[in-house]
Amino acid sequence: MTATSTVTTPSALAPARGPWRTALADLARDRTAIASFAILMLIVVVCLLAPVYAHYIAHTDPFQSNVSGTTVVNGKTVPVLAPTTSGLGLGVTPIGPTGDVHHYFLGADSQGRDVMARLLYGGRNSLLIGLSSALICCVAAALLGVIAGYFGGVVDTILNWFFDVIWAFPVYLLAISLSVVLLTNGLRLGPLSVQAGSLWLPILIIAAVYVPYVARPVRGQVLALRGREFIQASIGIGGSDVRILRRDVLPNIAPMVLVFLPLMAAINMLTEAALSFLSVGVQPPAASWGTIINDGLGLLYTRPTVAIAPGLMVVITAVTLNLLGDSVRSALDPKARLRGAA
Amino acid sequence: MTRFALRRLLSTVLVLFAISVVTFLIFFATPGVDPAARIAGRNADPATLAQVRHEFGLDRPLPVRYVLMMDHLLIKHDLTSYVNRGAAVIPQILHAAPVTLSLVIGAAVIWMVFGILIGTVSAATRGTIADPVLMIVGVVGVSVPVYWLGEVVNLITQDKLHSGVFSWVPPLGYVSLTANPVQWALHLLFPWLTLAVLYAGIYARVLRGELLEALNEDYVRTARAKGLSERRVLIAHALRCSLIPIVSLFGLDFGALIGGAALLNEVVFGLPGLGLLTYNSLQNLDLPVIIASVLYAAFFIVLANAVVDVVYAAIDPRVRRA
Amino acid sequence: MKHYTIAAALASVALLSATAACGSGGSTASGGSSSAPGGGQSSSSGSSAPAGYDPAHAGGTLHLVANAAAGSLDPQVNYTLQYWQLYQASYDGLLAFTKTAGDASFTVVPDLATAMPTVSDGGKTYTFQLHSGIKFSNGQPVTTKDVVASFERIFKVSSPTAGTFYVGIVGATACLAKPATCDLSKGIVADDAANTVTIHLTAADPEFPYKLAVPHASILPADTPGKDMGTTPIPGTGAYYFASDDPNRQLTMKRNPYFKVWSVAAEPQGYPDEIIQTFGLTVEDEVTAVENGQADWVYDPLPADRLGEIGTKYESQAHVNTLTAMFYAPMNVNIAPFNNPKARQAVNWAIDRSAMVKIYGGTNLAAPACTFLPPDFPGHVDFCDYTAGGGATWTAPDLAKAKQLVQESGTAGQTVGVVVQSDDVNKQLGEYLQSVLNQIGYKAVLKPISPNIQFTYIQNTKNKVQISISSWYQDYPAASDFLHVLLSCASFHPGSDTSINISGFCDKPIDTQMDAALTSEQTSMTQANTMWGQVDKAVMAQAPTAPLFTPKLIDFTSSRIKHYEFSKQFYMLVDQLWVK
Repeated sequence: MTATSTVTTPSALAPARGPWRTALADLARDRTAIASFAILMLIVVVCLLAPVYAHYIAHTDPFQSNVSGTTVVNGKTVPVLAPTTSGLGLGVTPIGPTGDVHHYFLGADSQGRDVMARLLYGGRNSLLIGLSSALICCVAAALLGVIAGYFGGVVDTILNWFFDVIWAFPVYLLAISLSVVLLTNGLRLGPLSVQAGSLWLPILIIAAVYVPYVARPVRGQVLALRGREFIQASIGIGGSDVRILRRDVLPNIAPMVLVFLPLMAAINMLTEAALSFLSVGVQPPAASWGTIINDGLGLLYTRPTVAIAPGLMVVITAVTLNLLGDSVRSALDPKARLRGAA
Repeated sequence: MTRFALRRLLSTVLVLFAISVVTFLIFFATPGVDPAARIAGRNADPATLAQVRHEFGLDRPLPVRYVLMMDHLLIKHDLTSYVNRGAAVIPQILHAAPVTLSLVIGAAVIWMVFGILIGTVSAATRGTIADPVLMIVGVVGVSVPVYWLGEVVNLITQDKLHSGVFSWVPPLGYVSLTANPVQWALHLLFPWLTLAVLYAGIYARVLRGELLEALNEDYVRTARAKGLSERRVLIAHALRCSLIPIVSLFGLDFGALIGGAALLNEVVFGLPGLGLLTYNSLQNLDLPVIIASVLYAAFFIVLANAVVDVVYAAIDPRVRRA
Repeated sequence: MKHYTIAAALASVALLSATAACGSGGSTASGGSSSAPGGGQSSSSGSSAPAGYDPAHAGGTLHLVANAAAGSLDPQVNYTLQYWQLYQASYDGLLAFTKTAGDASFTVVPDLATAMPTVSDGGKTYTFQLHSGIKFSNGQPVTTKDVVASFERIFKVSSPTAGTFYVGIVGATACLAKPATCDLSKGIVADDAANTVTIHLTAADPEFPYKLAVPHASILPADTPGKDMGTTPIPGTGAYYFASDDPNRQLTMKRNPYFKVWSVAAEPQGYPDEIIQTFGLTVEDEVTAVENGQADWVYDPLPADRLGEIGTKYESQAHVNTLTAMFYAPMNVNIAPFNNPKARQAVNWAIDRSAMVKIYGGTNLAAPACTFLPPDFPGHVDFCDYTAGGGATWTAPDLAKAKQLVQESGTAGQTVGVVVQSDDVNKQLGEYLQSVLNQIGYKAVLKPISPNIQFTYIQNTKNKVQISISSWYQDYPAASDFLHVLLSCASFHPGSDTSINISGFCDKPIDTQMDAALTSEQTSMTQANTMWGQVDKAVMAQAPTAPLFTPKLIDFTSSRIKHYEFSKQFYMLVDQLWVK
């Protein structure tokens, strides 16, 4: 369940031979890639339209508890949370899926909020966390990996050791420990200050946790590159480090990092969901698919939709991201292209 | 080779040290965490509070507390929990280890069988409809949140269909292998399957990639040229070589899982293994157990890494310089 | 939280005696001449036997489930309802609460003593006659030596209540300072020949008998080591003994082979041959296990979504019990925004109690609260300062009024942190409170933290908690148990983790009013209760807290369980259940 191995390291990439255009053309011919991308975009667009759905279609505020409210089902006014009247009359059951997009299409959660509206808003947060933490993680990892691989020596030793520590620290433990501290106190690092409960906390935590997974292969790649003639030549003619890094190293690292991006986004989304299960992800009343699953687990036996719907959304999104990742890899990896397989 | 192994050992010790320090510091940076008031009991008298604080060494400076804790854990082996007072930490871990081991070994058998099967079949059937279908199955496997799958499995087997198809499913929890092998297997069946879904997906995908690469290598072409059947080529030649990266991947995953990485799986299925122990200690903010289980987990991760590295170094001398 | 019930309630005893030494300990106390308070049945064993023992139902294994173990098994250390419930059948003190259902369960009766103690010297000396022939589960007979050693052991193991319950014993102060060398020979005098034990107190303490009836005063073998025994079981005198304890798996209790009934009221014979409590399942899974007959009883509070099913499909297996308790939202009166009375009143106007009741499980599980003292409690008067349309009981919130008050107070727009326990029910309550605070003009942030630390976290002023949700359960019926313990200046300790006055409310006139009520308890309980009613009104006008609702407790047992009895003191009588 760690994602230790979910990322398969792209096999060594050959130096760039104007690869971007070929790759794009490849992707455009790849039906799986197009389909995945289309579905992903559909999910993104629908989630972005969450306010439209909430305000103009469902007429509900998905962040406001509506414990005592009522709604209309088949023309009849019913309470959103119905108390049990038979037997000992214990417990209260939220309204189930009505199939009516205007009134609790997927039912209500235990606070009487519209699950459909929350699902859409939650998707925005899940996607935002997944994508931005993947981006931050990949950029940071590329930077650290390049520094470690290119400069070597003491820098490399220290960074490597740092990766080792994060790597060996069980992912959930690290995330949970950091979250507990940060969620009550917030983060104050010099001028940078993050409020407790801010969305940036899960993003930064998740990004930090996965840095070694990307940084290590990048470092290996840079090490390999350093030995190559063209870089040795650049060094030989007295090119500055910055110039060599920019002109020779980065272009060769970029495809690799790009391959990681969708895969990391998928993993990070799953991690976000897992962290929410442990109550350390996005904080209420804000929602993410993970927190809705967590809320829904308290209703699993009476209203399973609340937990199952966001779970399915996570699965679908992660599948499209993974497929997209595969396609990007085969498009950017000349060896894979040789094999002629998707 | 020996020097390389020694260097790995030194770095392993350093990594473990850093992890224990980080855990310790994070714990004491957490607000409201001071265990003295919780140990002493609600509204305890100030004198009792002071007594407890002293008895647990909580009135000492942080570095001293760290050294004391490590001394009790690693040298005297008598570190006890802050919450379940008197419960020594090491026996708790030793007691939880077989549960996790049962879970992981069973799941590993399942995921290796299915992973290799799916990977090989999909490589063998490339170009037909079976390949993409199998690969989609693999992708779904790696895209499912495990705890969510576990909860849904529980909903079905323990509640919705428990009076019907799944009436044979035993209650959640664990029965030891020595006590009752059949019940052991029955209790672990769904946890195994749930855990294996993720890894079967990963392994199938990796193996397929390796196989396709191998099929383009010279030795495979040679085998084909000798007139061997495509199946023989695939299984006898390509698969054998492609399994090497799989095995090293397996080493890493297995190490992490033995250390308690199956945390959510154990929580969802109520298995009293290391994951659940860690989870509970985090919920209770029980530092001695947290430290011990984190170190235990880290140890296996580092060990697996080291073993894989050393084995690779033995095969490929170039790695030693890296 | 059930978890806190006993602990919190008994802590209140501690505070009463430690801070106020308020004399009469509730309604049952009498001046302290010949018979001790609580000793309703001053005659000895057996005479007050409840129902007779039915051997036809003896036998079988009772399987209890709990999410997690409850810490050390040592009866002189543990301070949780979860294990105190089990200690009822395994350990005895000199006195005990009656093991029966209903109000009688608050009555203290002799246990290892043959009769209620003779009290002399103005309430400072208690003399107990020990039963002879009682044996520990290891076969050793109970002697006066064990009694003395057990009281010394309270201090040697730093029992949570050592400094609050038992510090009045002569010599105890020295023991508190130097536990290792604790010597109570002056305070607890044994006469081996006469088989009597005499306890000397430094001052009269009408509540002392209650303190002798809780597990921390259990009598254990004299040779028990003077340290927390943790998971190692200690022999006891009850009907059962603890056979094993693994805090990650299960706890096992078996019949004590040396047990013979000497007092049905104090220590009756139990029914199951074996009682086990297993740990590790989530509450949802525990409920499923009981529904499927795989376990017999769930310790933890039941999850809200299963209540409907439990109340209908499993109606006969659910047992609803009323509690005198409350859920409330303490507001910190010393920091913004709730240092402004209008802001606190606004919160009281705004909270929809019926919504809170719904979240807790509906009107059959909780009732809206408007006063600090729960209904049917001494001193309780029906009044409601914060309900739409006036009236003496709560009917509806008045959001408009609340918003207006927030505007008037000039605190609108401020950020408010809501600190709640991260378990399901409390988090839901917190989410609702957050939503209400946002509605009336604040920017509310929810901070769910581990149930294990929330209770101490919200008490410490250093954590700057603005508003939280907490609960309080009574120990015995006395208004001071709520008002004086939770809202007096004496129970406010800035900067400490143990400062049970969570609001930090210290109002001199109200404090004087409470002192007057305490004093008058010694002469007339009726008059005192009228005064407590006035204190309640004065407190609610200041609104340092928002009372939310009065909870009930449901026990959910498997279909094979019969003979369910609920003691108000220690809740379900575990060993009296029939599994056959």
